[in-house]
Amino acid sequence: MDPFPVLLSFQVSLVATLLTLLLGLPVAWVLARRRFPGHDLVEAAVVLPLVLPPTVLGYYLLVVIGARGPVGQLLGALGIELAFTWRAAVLAACVGSVALLVKAAQAGFESVDRRLEQAARTLGRSEWNIFWSITLPLSWRAVFAGTVLAFCRALGDFGITLMVAGSIPGLTQTMPLAIYDYVQANQMREANLLSLVAVATALLFLLGLGRLARLRF
Amino acid sequence: MFRIVVLGIFSLLAAAGAASAQPKQPVLTVYGAADLSFAFREIALLFERATGAKVVLVLGSTGTLAKQIEHGAPADVFFAANASFVDDLQSKGAVIPGTRMLYAQGRIVLAVPRGSKLRVERLEDLLGAEVKRVAIANPDHAPYGRAAQQALQAARVWDALKPRLVYGENIRHTLQFIETGAVDAGIIALSIADAPGVRHVPIDPALHAPLNQIAAVVKRSGRPELAMAFVQFVNGPEGRPIMKRYGFLLPGDF
Repeated sequence: MDPFPVLLSFQVSLVATLLTLLLGLPVAWVLARRRFPGHDLVEAAVVLPLVLPPTVLGYYLLVVIGARGPVGQLLGALGIELAFTWRAAVLAACVGSVALLVKAAQAGFESVDRRLEQAARTLGRSEWNIFWSITLPLSWRAVFAGTVLAFCRALGDFGITLMVAGSIPGLTQTMPLAIYDYVQANQMREANLLSLVAVATALLFLLGLGRLARLRF
Repeated sequence: MFRIVVLGIFSLLAAAGAASAQPKQPVLTVYGAADLSFAFREIALLFERATGAKVVLVLGSTGTLAKQIEHGAPADVFFAANASFVDDLQSKGAVIPGTRMLYAQGRIVLAVPRGSKLRVERLEDLLGAEVKRVAIANPDHAPYGRAAQQALQAARVWDALKPRLVYGENIRHTLQFIETGAVDAGIIALSIADAPGVRHVPIDPALHAPLNQIAAVVKRSGRPELAMAFVQFVNGPEGRPIMKRYGFLLPGDF
């Protein structure tokens, strides 16, 4: 069995989870701490990727980032190709999983006692400092749980990846796409083996991290 | 514990770095309709041996693959299950006009799970009371599904059968419905019907429009000569016997 899909899936999911944290945490914080016109609209928009059928979402993404799309043409002018590369698989995994992180982190931030933050503010701490020394340490379990969920969702993404990255063996074929291909080709031994690898790694990951954080998923 | 996790993450990253290394031999990326899966796996091996190039097969529904090629997928050559999607790509300037070529004609068959006790030999038999579910590929976008619909309409059983129909996403998916016994019968491509879990009888090709399968070299291909060589290989002395074995009719035979 070719180990490429497994390695690619881990590469994609790790990068995607880091990117999701980078983009998702500020959004979650803003949603939890600020009121502004359109707040609820942003909150709803974040969850939309969970509602749309993945292949449909993938198709719209492809129209935007493909060779004919506005973003695709802009990147193309800069010499960067996004669609049908492993980077597109990262984008797909991010889009599919960002809602899970944002909702978990937002709930975590909202559960932090605002008076503790106020106290820090009266002591002259900056908002940045308050986030790192008070908000995050008090809500890290929620953020952590959201991160693990987002990673697992990234690892399992199928529909969005299929559309924007294709299922190109040795290039963009991630673990779920490879399993699907094996099943379709009636190579059930390979399919079962790869499914087992997927389930085992996910279980190990969840159990290990769960123990690390004394969390239950 | 922490050290183990850090170590694990680093070894994963190292492994991932290795995963993105590129092979050096010329790579030909072939986008092909799902009905070609079995035949093309064999032909790709022979082509690799003959030319030293590496063939990457990307198989899926003709409609999805065409959409991806339209939006810049890195395909060198596209083997569609019909003509309309290639014509559409040609009008959008995504394939090289002179390379459009008829490479095979498909046949459809009536199939049942191997262990099935049903006697289904003609399309009319599908109306029997013991036939609860019948699978065809989605006629909206799968060429073999469209042919199945035409055949059922020509046999005047379409309207009565409609409530029992289940649509597969593509022809391989439809085969799976039958193989697993999820449906009692189905209509699939002859090219994939020799699967272990299935027994089948031919459907008269006069009942549907000919399933002319068209290939074309993709405009953005970096190696159009190699792509064209693959198209000719499929219809050449080495590809022909394999295509025939999988139930395709080849140019010159019909």
